[in-house]
Amino acid sequence: MAKRLLKYAFIALLLVPFGFLLMLSLGRGWAYPEVFPRQWTLENWHFVWGAQAGLGRSTLLSLAISLGIAAPVTLAGFWVSKHIAYSRRRRFWLVLAYLPYVLAPAVLAACLQAFFFRAELSGKVWGVVLAQLFITFPYGVIFFSGFWNEQMRAMEQLAATLGGRPRQAYARVLIPVGRGALMTCFFQIFLISWFEYGLTMLIGVGKVQTLTLKVFQYVGEANIFFAALTGCLLVLPPLVLLWLNKRYVFARAGAR
Amino acid sequence: MFIALAVLPLLLGLGYAMAYSLGLVGLLSEGFTLAHWEEVLGSAFFWRTMAFSAWVSVVTTVLAVGVALGFVAAWPRVFLRGSLSLFIYFPLAIPAIVMAFIVFQMLSAGGLVSRLAYQLGLISGLEQFPGLVNDYWGIGIIAAHFLMAAPFFIIFFANLYENEQVEEFVQLARTLGAGARQAALRVAAPLLLRRAFPTIVLYGLFVMGAYEAPLLLGRQSNQMVSVLAIQKLQRFNLGDIPQAYVACIAYSAIVLSLAVWLLGRNGEERLKYQGSGGRGKKV
Repeated sequence: MAKRLLKYAFIALLLVPFGFLLMLSLGRGWAYPEVFPRQWTLENWHFVWGAQAGLGRSTLLSLAISLGIAAPVTLAGFWVSKHIAYSRRRRFWLVLAYLPYVLAPAVLAACLQAFFFRAELSGKVWGVVLAQLFITFPYGVIFFSGFWNEQMRAMEQLAATLGGRPRQAYARVLIPVGRGALMTCFFQIFLISWFEYGLTMLIGVGKVQTLTLKVFQYVGEANIFFAALTGCLLVLPPLVLLWLNKRYVFARAGAR
Repeated sequence: MFIALAVLPLLLGLGYAMAYSLGLVGLLSEGFTLAHWEEVLGSAFFWRTMAFSAWVSVVTTVLAVGVALGFVAAWPRVFLRGSLSLFIYFPLAIPAIVMAFIVFQMLSAGGLVSRLAYQLGLISGLEQFPGLVNDYWGIGIIAAHFLMAAPFFIIFFANLYENEQVEEFVQLARTLGAGARQAALRVAAPLLLRRAFPTIVLYGLFVMGAYEAPLLLGRQSNQMVSVLAIQKLQRFNLGDIPQAYVACIAYSAIVLSLAVWLLGRNGEERLKYQGSGGRGKKV
């Protein structure tokens, strides 16, 4: 009984940040020392669709950037990581793939900013997409590096022995076998892009207004209710992806 | 493709930053000089920034790993099955900038914790509430990173516990007469720590270069290195730009040296277990 109570208390603790964000997003007038806002309203949420705040536009922009990056990077990471995993210099290439994370994406963006200015990509969506590729693509390669083991090589060789071409081996063997890993990688790359702030701010020079930039903008304007609302919009897709991941990918992996 | 998207940007970025810091390129460049390097490396503020970044990183990582290890060693199965195995992932859905905002609204003088303390009669006004954000010790920054890191390490350790068959070693220790606490402390914890060491190091380095939480929860007099470099880069004073690049290069060199020193040659072998093909698939 005590263990169960402890478990529910722990779950409640994990849900506190979400409840707090939702409370502020539905609130108006939160004067000290009140614990709850003076007024509860859905009016803040109506601004998501209003043109004035631009939240709907930022949501669509963030979604477009993250989906636009996650799909090609997952496939490219799958393909490139295979060549790296089977190469003699595997360790060297993988160490290089870790560097953007070890050196911090914001520091990398600071070093690259001048090139984006010169290429006139600074402040443009395409510039932000390209800059995000520099951190998401190495992640895709790292993610799949463990996937290419002896078993995968044997399956590919078997397909070749039975007359399959390399393209057929991908389509009929490797991609179906790696479906779970591909889905998980897609979700994780989507999240890296969706959560990105420093790099997007530096390369986009504040003009590419993704949701993370909006949060900071509202915090700067001391508009905590809109900042919380934007925070809710930011955590919603990851929660949906998490549920999908648990429901379908892990369940399927477990069934196998 | 790998060279174009992963190697070339790094080389170009670091090369340009190095050239700029040595006065070889840039709007105010007057030829080769070490003046910017001498200025930055000779300033106490830069080293204080590095020390503060290291402090935040070490405290966050030690706290998160300690708490996660404690939970997993005590209740290993709870985080793998049942409702907690889903809910423990929830904090990972919160971006750093949003977590920083939540921590600010909770721990600042006018925040939720201060209001609760007032309602409980523990303080009589917000001026009595201790400064937990934008503070000297970086408590707010550490809190934000801890809230993101602890669930990550709980999930990671729980999966390692299962995949590395730690349970069997614990059972063996119990059979040989060890108590539950002894088995957890002397068998499970060292095994998990040893296997997770590269991930812990990489996470620590990642926190050291964090930008969002220190930007919102830090203070001007005690900055983290990413914030310092980017602030110098964005100032209107063009003379600050070479110094920003010196900070970037010096930080990169320090972090790389740390990574090489701590991870050594065996790092990559152990890192394999994080990959999708490793047994730690769910991480």
